[in-house]
Amino acid sequence: MFHWLEKNPFFFAVGVFIVIAFAGLIEILPNFAEASRPVVGLKPYTVLELAGKEVYKKDNCLSCHSQLIRPFKAETDRYGQYSLSGEYAYDRPFLWGSKRTGPDLHRVGNYRTTDWHENHMWEPTDVVPGSIMPAYKHQFTNVADIETAYAEAVTVKNVFATPYGDEFQATKAAWEAHKPKVLADAQKIAADMKNKDIKEAVAAGNIPEVVALIAYLNRLK
Amino acid sequence: MQAHAALEYDYSVAKLFTFTTILFGILGMIIGTLIAAQLAFPELNYLLGEYGTFSRLRPLHTNIVIFGFTLSGVFATFYYVAQRVLKVSMAESKFIMFISKLHFWLYFVGALIAVITLLLGYTQAKEYAQFEWPIDIVIVLVWVLWGVAMFGLIGIRREKALYISMWYYIACFLGIAMLYLFNNMSVPTYFASGGLGNILHSVSMYSGTNDALVQWWYGHNAVAFGFTVPIVAMIYYFLPKESGQAIYSYKLSLLSFWGLMFVYLWAGSHHLLWSTVPDWMQTMGSVFSIVLILPSWGSAINMLLTMKGEWNQLTENPLIKFMVLASTFYMLSTLEGPIQAIKSVNAIAHFTDWIPGHVHDGVLGWVVFMIMAALFHMAPRMFKREIYSKKMLEAQFWLQTVAVVLYFTSMWIAGITQGMMWRAVDEYGNLMYSFIDTVTVLHPYYAIRALSGVLYLIGFLMFAYNMYKTMTSSRELSEEPQFRSPMA
Amino acid sequence: MDIRELQGYASFFMTIFLVVMLYWYIIYLYRSEKKGEKDYEKLGNIALDDEIDSKPINSSSVTPSENKEQKK
Repeated sequence: MFHWLEKNPFFFAVGVFIVIAFAGLIEILPNFAEASRPVVGLKPYTVLELAGKEVYKKDNCLSCHSQLIRPFKAETDRYGQYSLSGEYAYDRPFLWGSKRTGPDLHRVGNYRTTDWHENHMWEPTDVVPGSIMPAYKHQFTNVADIETAYAEAVTVKNVFATPYGDEFQATKAAWEAHKPKVLADAQKIAADMKNKDIKEAVAAGNIPEVVALIAYLNRLK
Repeated sequence: MQAHAALEYDYSVAKLFTFTTILFGILGMIIGTLIAAQLAFPELNYLLGEYGTFSRLRPLHTNIVIFGFTLSGVFATFYYVAQRVLKVSMAESKFIMFISKLHFWLYFVGALIAVITLLLGYTQAKEYAQFEWPIDIVIVLVWVLWGVAMFGLIGIRREKALYISMWYYIACFLGIAMLYLFNNMSVPTYFASGGLGNILHSVSMYSGTNDALVQWWYGHNAVAFGFTVPIVAMIYYFLPKESGQAIYSYKLSLLSFWGLMFVYLWAGSHHLLWSTVPDWMQTMGSVFSIVLILPSWGSAINMLLTMKGEWNQLTENPLIKFMVLASTFYMLSTLEGPIQAIKSVNAIAHFTDWIPGHVHDGVLGWVVFMIMAALFHMAPRMFKREIYSKKMLEAQFWLQTVAVVLYFTSMWIAGITQGMMWRAVDEYGNLMYSFIDTVTVLHPYYAIRALSGVLYLIGFLMFAYNMYKTMTSSRELSEEPQFRSPMA
Repeated sequence: MDIRELQGYASFFMTIFLVVMLYWYIIYLYRSEKKGEKDYEKLGNIALDDEIDSKPINSSSVTPSENKEQKK
């Protein structure tokens, strides 16, 4: 049998495949049967928060910040309650990160404010002397892509049964109808900010990336 | 055999991939050095506006060195080694020649698009799987083309026994195919929402903890099947060929192959220790990481013992030096990895700079050294000229060795320092340090790392220059060298 | 039987199976060398003697699907 395998590259390849696929079959597949169940009270992200999550991904905050509080006293003292699986039920993709060049952000909404984030994203060293985080001034002028965020909400509602309301429909009209709600959310954030340009942009219907990002960060609790 | 007397191996595709290996190597290492320097000197974040921040450039660095440099090197050596160990020339099949050229050009175009979209911030935000879905499709096509070329060559081979290197190349092909497909499963939102928003955007098929599990099953094993398996394939061919010594124990190479195939895939969950994935999986990840020492060291020891009785070559031939150092670093990082996968060690090491330190003693010391040695070995045979400068080769070796040592020692210290400071408490049980204290303390180590990056980059530029001169203006060879590569 | 139980049994028996295969393979390697049917160490020469016109270590006219011992 081994002789035959050594002589038959195709069946040899099949053999290799079985051996390497084994771990995945046992370790990973069965977990999908018990797909992540949300913890009680967990709400899906609003469209503005989703747009903020996109900013978080686009500027790749996760290359330096984790969103995973491990069950050690040193971590719960510093960041709060350790993370639970159900809290991530609506995270596609997961954004745990793998490196803490900066602190963990899983519960940053508990101890940082809109105002703090505004100053910090503009110039981190003004808020935290010695910080090596770059300033993200371009987030104050770039406009967040809320339409794509809405498309994401509709997609996860239709494909993965994420509990969004009936008004989330895969039509242009439904999006136009929902848009004022997103703008209203953005205005609430902008009201707590002091940058004049931001307030004007939001009033004109353009949501700067930083507003969406702050909405997302405030939601992390 | 007489009928084929005039036949020669055809290296045109191997040459093309050699060029991209060098190109992406330079690009990836420049970015790597820049982002290392940014951590020590944050002002460097503002060289390219929005596109030059550490966070935007980091995925660019990882993806260019993995999918640009390393994969090019794997393809270049594959199109060289496969012909030779199968004793069949690519010139014998127009079909395979066409497929492999298409393979190259599709790969190259796909890589360029990938670089641009990453710079613009289109990302799935999963490490080493950042590319959005259209690029994923291109990558799958590239992979299929490689498979067709590979099994095509195997199909028309003269040497019926498959050499161990071919086993490893086949495993690389299968492993990456499976992992990449599963991890990149996503739903493009444009199509699922009736045409709203950006067409490039997609959402992962998996959520939260499951997504993490699939991602690190992929992430760890992309390292396995991209940074270990094909590099072992290279050393099993190039070390014996360059030294004129057959593999110490061929049977051991077969056994460690199966060991590696079985064990590696389980170890992925050691990236998720103390997270919200089920405990038994974390334990499995830890245990199998330790077991992984066996097949890894099986290969590494086999490589080192291949030099038995011929250690004098180490002083005479710089290419042997590169390869022996590569296998030594392979041993180091396959011991270091399992240590970090022990749960109590991981509690300190995870999220710190020890992890990038570990990755880089593996890639800088093992992967890059091996690929450079392989290309140096191939150059005199492909371009029919001797290697341009032995002196430069020697200088490059020492420069880069010092760079790697500086890199991992500084990151070990940085990682353990930070890990200990995060958990340090005073006599009343309160945390001793605020987070920023644990950042500023790392400045000297980040500076040393940036310096090591500069040294390594200079070494790599020396390699590129040496290769360029070898291709264009070195002394021509009248016949192909049998073992040792000639150099001036 | 729920999926966790199935997972447990599958994992256990598959691991046993693969371990048995591995040891069987080791025995096979050494036994076939002892009997003189094969010489695995000779395969190492494939890398050393790899000119296109050099004689294959293991050439055969037997088609790959034919499950038959080779005579050296």
